[in-house]
Formats: sequence, structure tokens, C-alpha cells
Amino acid sequence: MQPMELQRFIATRQARWDRLESLLRVAESSPPAELGRVRLLTLLHLYRIACSDLNQARAFTANAALLRRLNDLTGRGYRFLYRERPRGVSLAAVGRFFRWQVPAVFQQERRAVAAAAAALLIGATIGFSAVLMDPAYARDLVPAQFFADSPAARVHHIETSPERIASLQEAASFSADLYTNNIRVSFLAFALGALTLAGGVIYLIWTGSWLGAIAASYLLDEVGLFFFAWVGPHGALELPAIVFAGAAGLVAGHALLLPGELTRGSALRQAWPAVWTMMLATAAFLVLAGGIEGSFSQLSAQTVPYALKVGVALVLLGLLLAYLFWMRQRPRTGHP
Amino acid sequence: MSGVAHDAGGLGGWSGEADGGGRATILTPELTPLQLVPAGPGSRFLALIIDTALILGVSAVLETLLLATTPLGLAAALGATFGFALSWAYPIWFEVTRQGQTPGKKLLGLRVVDARGLGVGLSQSFVRNIVRTLDFVPLFYGLGLAVALGDRQGRRLGDLAADTLVIEDGQAADPVRALAAGRQLRSLESPELRRRVARRISLEERELLIALTVRLPRLDAQARFDLLEEVGGYYRVRLGIDDPHLSGEQVVRGLTALLVGLPRQPAEDRP
Repeated sequence: MQPMELQRFIATRQARWDRLESLLRVAESSPPAELGRVRLLTLLHLYRIACSDLNQARAFTANAALLRRLNDLTGRGYRFLYRERPRGVSLAAVGRFFRWQVPAVFQQERRAVAAAAAALLIGATIGFSAVLMDPAYARDLVPAQFFADSPAARVHHIETSPERIASLQEAASFSADLYTNNIRVSFLAFALGALTLAGGVIYLIWTGSWLGAIAASYLLDEVGLFFFAWVGPHGALELPAIVFAGAAGLVAGHALLLPGELTRGSALRQAWPAVWTMMLATAAFLVLAGGIEGSFSQLSAQTVPYALKVGVALVLLGLLLAYLFWMRQRPRTGHP
Repeated sequence: MSGVAHDAGGLGGWSGEADGGGRATILTPELTPLQLVPAGPGSRFLALIIDTALILGVSAVLETLLLATTPLGLAAALGATFGFALSWAYPIWFEVTRQGQTPGKKLLGLRVVDARGLGVGLSQSFVRNIVRTLDFVPLFYGLGLAVALGDRQGRRLGDLAADTLVIEDGQAADPVRALAAGRQLRSLESPELRRRVARRISLEERELLIALTVRLPRLDAQARFDLLEEVGGYYRVRLGIDDPHLSGEQVVRGLTALLVGLPRQPAEDRP
């Protein structure tokens, strides 16, 4: 296109582009202004003309400024016109999410959950067996902050000292620290699985191995019951939550790395509803687990007998599994 | 420019291939290829610092208010919960409700888009942001930065997992002013040379010279020098430019500026 033609091309269309831009500015403003039917149809019409202008300009000129302006205008129009309808969040929607969606997704993805649970159990078996064979392995397997030279001495110290959590406020503060940290850990388990698949599995095996190693070292020191009473009430929710995060990572990783016949984008878009349902549920379970870990779990046998704590742990685990895997799915309605 | 890919969803998706600048191209339902220009790590990092500062600032104010109004233990619990929720909810809320722009990104003209060039949805933004945990290690986005530097489109791990891209949300330039600015480059202007250029440079050559000038910034230094010396040398002979102090690049840029500013010549003037 010759310069004069280019200037004529621009001059004859400039007003339309300016009008499209001003409509887009209103449409993109926050909170979203009500464009109205007439202005919306005008915007659509001008957007389509701008698309045609861009195609035409690309064919005839390399003028960077013109192409960039048209590319930006059509890009903004495209993003506005083809955007997904934003959905509001209501209390009823949250209720439906936990009542129907969470169990449905976990039942649908039970193979991923089973694979993640198997990884954790394999790790736990390895760690447990290793420490049973040679207690010295505990020092290598257990992270420093959880390692105790003599579990029995630690238990004796806890059982003979005043309760660590003296008030509800202290429990709340401790719980908040715990669940924020645990949610971060679950996000890490998810991310490793989502990006590498194998990384998520290895992370679960590693977590299982040191948990198994701790359990074995407490059993060897003949304070096994204390261990299960101490970690059971919150562990009943926390360990499954870590497994669920790992499973969500496997679902996302499968879509990302093994999309099959779908494009990677399509496979991911299909996987996200399940992935984000599992992760939100995981975060909710970890908040509950944190609340229990910061309060009830910390109580020694002076206040709550071991049997009661282990009983609470078993009931919580049973309720969680029943909620996720045995709860009836929403009946299909509308279509025969 | 990369090829154009269709997506099963009906809207365009970007292709795996990208050009030297990492640009991706999507095809709108109107069959118009749209170019997405990936943002560089520098501007993204700056946007991140602005967003982090905002989150820390709001958290600090909240915590101060809580400490002043509630007992210590409860204030700590609420402060930790609010701070945590804010740090995760902030990017997700802004990305979903503000068409992919957090305040930091908006300030720097950046936007998160999905593979179709559209704003990100809730589940996608959620995935993109929780993978941030991994991008963040070992120290303030160390891994994320390393991955982004190695990726042609500057994507961090969160972008890879969520199939998103941070693009430059270019402020539309005024094409008329840009045309006028081009004329300031005329260093070769003389009536004789103008005549020769008008008569001897064909339309195809003109488009070639303009395209070459527009793409110069994307060439590496050595290739740019070699190419322009060759092209400049050719036109030096062809147009009889005998100024020995002009480099190949000056010749090419000067010619392009002259061509952009030339009025269309009547057909009979052409050889």
C-alpha cells in the first residue's frame, strides 16, 4: 500500500476505530457497566469491521503502528465478546458444591485417589520396615523438626508437663499456623504431580516414608498408642487431604502430559473442574484438620484418654470416606 | 509468525510454534489471526513486586487493626488466616474479575490470557496460582524465573500447568503519528535521490525495505549488521549513493523513511 493510500485507509476508518475503542472502554470498565442492547450490537458490528480492517491491513502493509493498533483493538473486542459469563458465588452454590459436586468428583476420580493413596502407603511401608529393621534409619528418614532421639522420653515429658495449649486463643493461633502451612504443602504436592506426574508420586512416597519411620520409632519405644492418639485426630483428615492434593495433581498431570487424542488445552479444560473441586475440598479438610491439630490433638492423657482420641480419629476417617466415596450422587433430572 | 491452530472448543488456540520473539497467534471465529506478544520476565517481575507489596501492605494494616481490637491469640489466628487467604485470593480474584489483570499487571500493561486468547476462568486461575508454590522455590520465584527464561513465551510453571500466557496488553499507538515520526529519519533526502528512489524502487522492494526495517529489532547484532551491509551495499550501487560515512543500516533506514514519506508516483514516471 502506498503512503497516501495508507493515510486514506486510516483516515476513512479512524472514526470507527475510535468509536469501537470508546465502547470497549465502557465495556471493560469496572464494575462492568451495562452497555445496553444498542451499544452492544454496535460494538459487535464495529469489532467485525475491525477484524476485516486488520486482515486487509496485514495483506497490504507492514506499518507496525497500524497493525499494532488494529491487533489491540480486535484483541480487546474478541476478549470482551467471547468471554465466559461470570458466575456469582452464593451460599446456596457453596452448599451445592459440598453436598453434590465434591463427592461426585471424588467418586469419578477414585482411580487417581487410589494411586496417590497407594504411593503414600508404599512409602509408609518402606519407612516403617526400614526403621523396624534398623532404628538408626529414623535419623535419615525423619525430617529434623519431627525427629526425637527418644520418643519415650518425649512422651514422658509431654505427659508430665502442663497442657501445651492452655486457652482457646492459643489453640486458634496455633491452628491457623498449622493449616496455612499444610495447605501450602498440599499445593506443592499438587504442583509436582501436575507438572511431572512422577514428581507427585515421589513426593507422596517420600512423605509416607518419614511418617512410617516416625510410627515405627514410637512403636519400638513402646509408645505407639501415644503416637496414634497424638496424630490420629488431625491425621485422619490431614493425611487423606495430602493424598487428595496429590491425586488432583495426577489428574492435572495426566491432562497436561498425556492428553491422548485431545489437544493439551482441551484435555486441561476438561480436567480443571475436577482438579479445582478436589483442591478446594482439600483446603477445607486441612482447615478442619488444623483446627483439631491445634487444640484436641495437643491434649495429653491428663485431660483426654488415649482411647477417646483414637476413637475420634477412626470416626473422623470413617465419616470422611463415607462422605466422599459412599454418598449418593445427585439424581439426574430433566431428561428421560 | 507462528502457524495458526484451531481448538476443539471452536475458538482459536495458540500453536506450539512461535516466532523469534515468542509471539503466538490465535485465530478468532471471524478468521482474523490475532497476535499475542508474550510479556518479558522483567515487567512480569516488576508487576509481581507491586502486587506483593500491595498484599503485604493490606495484611499489615489488617493485622494492626486486629491487634488493636481483639485479644492477642485470636488476633494472631485471624491475622494468619486473613493474610493467607489474601495472598491466594488476591491474584485469583483480580485475574477472574478484571480480565486477567491484577493491579500490578494493569500498571505495567500486562494481562493473563488462556490458550484461546480469552480471559482466564476461575478454575484455571486457581490452578495457575497454586502452582506458584513451586515457582516460588528456592527463593522468591527462583524456579519460576529460570523456567520463564528458558521458555520461548516466558511462561512460568503455573502458566504451563494452566495453559495460560501473560501478554503485553499494548496501548494502541496512533498510526498517523507513527507515520509522521518515520519521516524524521530522512537523512538521505536530496531532490536527485528522491527522484531515483521514486523511479527505481518497485512496490515489492518498498514493502521489503519497510518489512526489513520493522523487523530489525528482532535480529541478532551480527545478522543485522551482515544483512544490512549487504542490502545497503546493493542500494548504494543501484541508487548511486556515494556518501562513504553511511553504514548499511543508515542507508536502509534512510531509504525506508524516504519511501514511507513519498507520495504515490503516476504510473508513467516508472520505468
